Amino acid sequence: MLELKRTLDAKGHGVLEMPSGTGKTISLLSLIVAYHKAYPLEVTKLVYCSRTVPEIEKVVEELRKLMDYYAKQTGAKNDFLALALSSRKNLCIHPEVSSLRFGKEVDGKCHSLTASYIRAQHHSNPSQPVCQFYEQFDAVGRQVPIPPGIYNLDDLKDFGRRKGWCPYFLSRYAILHANIVVYSYHYLLDPKIADLVSKELTKKSVVVFDEAHNIDNVCIDSMSVNITRRTLDRCQTNVETLQNTISRIKETDAAKLREYRRLVEGLKEANVARETDMYLSNPVLPDEILQEAVPGSIRTAEHFVGFIKHFLEYLKARLRIHHVVQESAPQFLKDIYEKVCIDRKPLRFCAERLRSLLRTLEIADIADFSAITLISHFATLVSTYSKGFTIIIEPFEDRTPTIANPVLHFSCMDPSIAIKPVFGRFQSVIITSGTLSPLDIYPRILDFRPVTTASFTMTLARTCLCPLIVGRGNDQVAMTSKFETREDFAVIRNYGNLLLEMSAIVPDGIVAFFTSYIYMENIVASWYEQGILENIQRNKLIFIETQDAAETSMALEKYQEACENGRGAILLSVARGKVSEGIDFVHHFGRAVIMFGVPYVYTQSRILKARLEYLRDQFQIRENYFLTFDAMRHVAQCVGRAIQGKTDYGLMIFADKRYARADKRGKLPRWIQEHLTDGSLNLTIDETVQLAKYFLRQMAQPFRQEDQLGLSLLTLEQLQSEDMLQKIAQIAQQA
Amino acid sequence: MDEEPERAKRWEGGYERTWEVLKEDESGSLKATVEDILFQAKRKRVFEGHGQVRLGMMRHLFVIIDSSRSMEDQDLKPNRLTSTLKLMEFFVEEYFDQNPISQIGIITTKNKRAEKLTDLAGNPKKHLAALKKVVDSTCVGEPSLYNSLNVAMQTLKHMPAHTSKEILVIFSSLTTCDPANIYELIKTLNALKIRVSVIGLSAEVRVCTILTRETGGSYNVILDESHFKELLMLHVKPPPASSSSECSLIRMGFPQHVIASMSDQDAKPSFSMSHLDSTGEPGLTLGGYYCPQCRAKYTELPVECKVCGLTLVSAPHLARSFHHLFPLEAFQETPLEEYEGERFCEACQGELKDKSVFTCLACKKVFCVECDLFIHDTLHCCPGCMQTDRTS
Repeated sequence: MLELKRTLDAKGHGVLEMPSGTGKTISLLSLIVAYHKAYPLEVTKLVYCSRTVPEIEKVVEELRKLMDYYAKQTGAKNDFLALALSSRKNLCIHPEVSSLRFGKEVDGKCHSLTASYIRAQHHSNPSQPVCQFYEQFDAVGRQVPIPPGIYNLDDLKDFGRRKGWCPYFLSRYAILHANIVVYSYHYLLDPKIADLVSKELTKKSVVVFDEAHNIDNVCIDSMSVNITRRTLDRCQTNVETLQNTISRIKETDAAKLREYRRLVEGLKEANVARETDMYLSNPVLPDEILQEAVPGSIRTAEHFVGFIKHFLEYLKARLRIHHVVQESAPQFLKDIYEKVCIDRKPLRFCAERLRSLLRTLEIADIADFSAITLISHFATLVSTYSKGFTIIIEPFEDRTPTIANPVLHFSCMDPSIAIKPVFGRFQSVIITSGTLSPLDIYPRILDFRPVTTASFTMTLARTCLCPLIVGRGNDQVAMTSKFETREDFAVIRNYGNLLLEMSAIVPDGIVAFFTSYIYMENIVASWYEQGILENIQRNKLIFIETQDAAETSMALEKYQEACENGRGAILLSVARGKVSEGIDFVHHFGRAVIMFGVPYVYTQSRILKARLEYLRDQFQIRENYFLTFDAMRHVAQCVGRAIQGKTDYGLMIFADKRYARADKRGKLPRWIQEHLTDGSLNLTIDETVQLAKYFLRQMAQPFRQEDQLGLSLLTLEQLQSEDMLQKIAQIAQQA
Repeated sequence: MDEEPERAKRWEGGYERTWEVLKEDESGSLKATVEDILFQAKRKRVFEGHGQVRLGMMRHLFVIIDSSRSMEDQDLKPNRLTSTLKLMEFFVEEYFDQNPISQIGIITTKNKRAEKLTDLAGNPKKHLAALKKVVDSTCVGEPSLYNSLNVAMQTLKHMPAHTSKEILVIFSSLTTCDPANIYELIKTLNALKIRVSVIGLSAEVRVCTILTRETGGSYNVILDESHFKELLMLHVKPPPASSSSECSLIRMGFPQHVIASMSDQDAKPSFSMSHLDSTGEPGLTLGGYYCPQCRAKYTELPVECKVCGLTLVSAPHLARSFHHLFPLEAFQETPLEEYEGERFCEACQGELKDKSVFTCLACKKVFCVECDLFIHDTLHCCPGCMQTDRTS
């Protein structure tokens, strides 16, 4: 809190690491809310970004508790407006639209009911269907502000139903005057969405990125484009549809196509807005473009379509290769100029021009045009940024080198590009997560200067986590997932024995993480042959995470059921998979986490290689350092799944001898490192079993809230006592 | 000879850190804190027991002993099963000592089945004999919590409402193999007001946590053998009777022990009624207890008369359970530094070394922790007060 206050005072950015379950969210919320109440002019808005919908809901619940407490303590009526925002899929209340399953379909359908020209048509022709909720909202909703309170997604839906207003548009509109907004990262980071949703947020906001250990990847993903042959094929059909529409409209209503004026002057408007610092600048559309008008060669619709066609043909030609090509953006531009005479300038305007064209042509179902939109984004990006991006064309996938499946990766290597406008625009940005170690690397790769970086540990009445590094089997063969010994029989057998032994002594649930799906498949197959699997199944049921989301969620559900009714279960999953990121294994759902091997990224990937090179050149981060950092943050994420608070306990078993090395160990979060003694390094399986047994028995002793009192839980009197205050000050000094 | 490889030699056994027990504590490490918590728990128990609560004097207890594969584990010497059974024998004796008018039954579970070893009965000898027999049985398969609870419940549900109905599970395995949803069973148990307590031998299992929480029992996991014994002994003391349990007058018979010597010509040797159903050799005895209502003969008390259903007890038995009604009040705890006076425990005459001393509120005598526990758990009366009573 102290650190946070410092950050807010200095109007700077902060990086804070706090273990999960220690009240990270609530302390952030309460301080910022208090700050807001004390200095309403300094901090006007809190933007809280989280990762998934359940996490968003959790934040809102915490906030509700806080506000109830405020109301109870001060007696004053709460005048706060806080709301959550999510996609149309989660907020739609239209009976037909909301029944669709995929987000894209919902978006498309919604668009076809609410687009302005559809509504205009509806005026003249009432049989044209529109969304009555949106109509209602548009008619009255904007004038009447929604009453202050805390709204989660369901509350918004309820409110929408009561009033007959569309909750999605309502919340999008309401975030402008809400005090607290809770939504997903993408609304701020992804330039395409940020432009729509977040551009009108005021400068004096505090932005919190929760669970931000992967923020650099989110940034990179939002700026990267992958083009396959399928994309191009679909794009081709898109272009044809466009052409047909244009020619049809031409016959009927030529005047409509006169967007010329707008194109010459139109962009100026956006420019004015940006200069007044009203909008969050869109990195896809850099400043200099706005000062210029759309070049003449693509001003008319036919010309533009022709232009896109050319570009498409060029891309197709590029994809028809048999070897891997890697080049920078300028090289690509030069090549394209030489081969098909496409200049850099028109390329830059591609995205903007396409959007304008789609609007003019009154094409309702934008979802169908995702392919061409993607291409246009690519065109704009490639011509705008000369640095920080690379183009890699691969004729086949790594896994299947015989099947031709050309892919063009246009990958961003510099996460700071996407996040820069956020840092530049808002006065305080706080990045926080349970696992952010080593802390210094985030400011470096995201290219910002934090006021505070701090890592906090848990104060515990009992040591409820037990990290153990297992380096050897009982036969003294080193355990490691190193590439050279991957297929080694002894290693696989030792891993199997470890799991078998643990399954016999750990109650309820065990979660085991492998480094990759392929590795997991191999190991499980050979366990089956060796009969280890059968032995394990005598102790616990086995569930496996697969790449199929539905299958995985089914496995997860059964896993939880098995843990619940005492049968006990093991979940085999993959680091970086769905399980490792979003799912918490509270209490009995995860009494032990076993990490088989070190989950390095696939180092042969060209995209990664390019990125590593870039990091080395630009930020002086050595390849190895980054790789280890990346692996360890995933490890920390995986093992952190098991501990969700102070009453929880769990074993953390790192099964690879490489974890004992200082460079790996040093990159674990401080709250894990603290409990990693010299005695728990490089153990054999037997030693691990003994330690684990001892630990589990200790932890099973009754543990009441009073035991925590004075240690990790303070009563009000204790908090106000003199020596406790001194102790806190001391801790704060050290941090 | 075939048996030999089954029981592994000591040196073939698992790797153990035997020195851990002796480990000295430097820096508030895990051991110290946990032990501290345990000490607190110990004291707390004493306090909890001594509120003015009604304790259920008539208990019907089923002990479920897990004898699945995991009982062969050697972390208790020589293995879990033998150790458990030995402690159980001790427990049975102690149980009848403290609860003379209660009954006990034993159920074992292995290989996904539950088997009733002994039915509810008030005779320790039968149980002890049964327990001795189990030692040699092999431990196989998985236990079934559901089946064994179900077996116990079938009997317990017919017990009158004024008795306390309890199940104690000694659970070694970490899994249970159930034929149906155990949560339904837990609900039924709850409705029948059956308390289920669990002593875990390896680690905390979720389903047991829920089971004990829902039915109002306790759940403990052992640390080592002495802790196991301690936990088991906790169950010797009757639990507080639930307020909803009905009060009723119970008819009891106090039969006279008729001693007939062999020399007495009138005495005819006869069978005891309790031998009717036992398979053991029916011994002909001369004397015995005769039910005051129907004159059926029994050799041992307490027992429920097979003929007329009257509970037969002896007066000393009842007197022994009497202390449950008037428990000794808890002693006042004061830190050693604050205590001024002679540093000798009134009871054991040893020096007071522990962190705190305990003062009897009535006679103001001081005692050490161990004596405090002994007085409250076993003696049930303060030696200090007794002394003053006599002198005055």
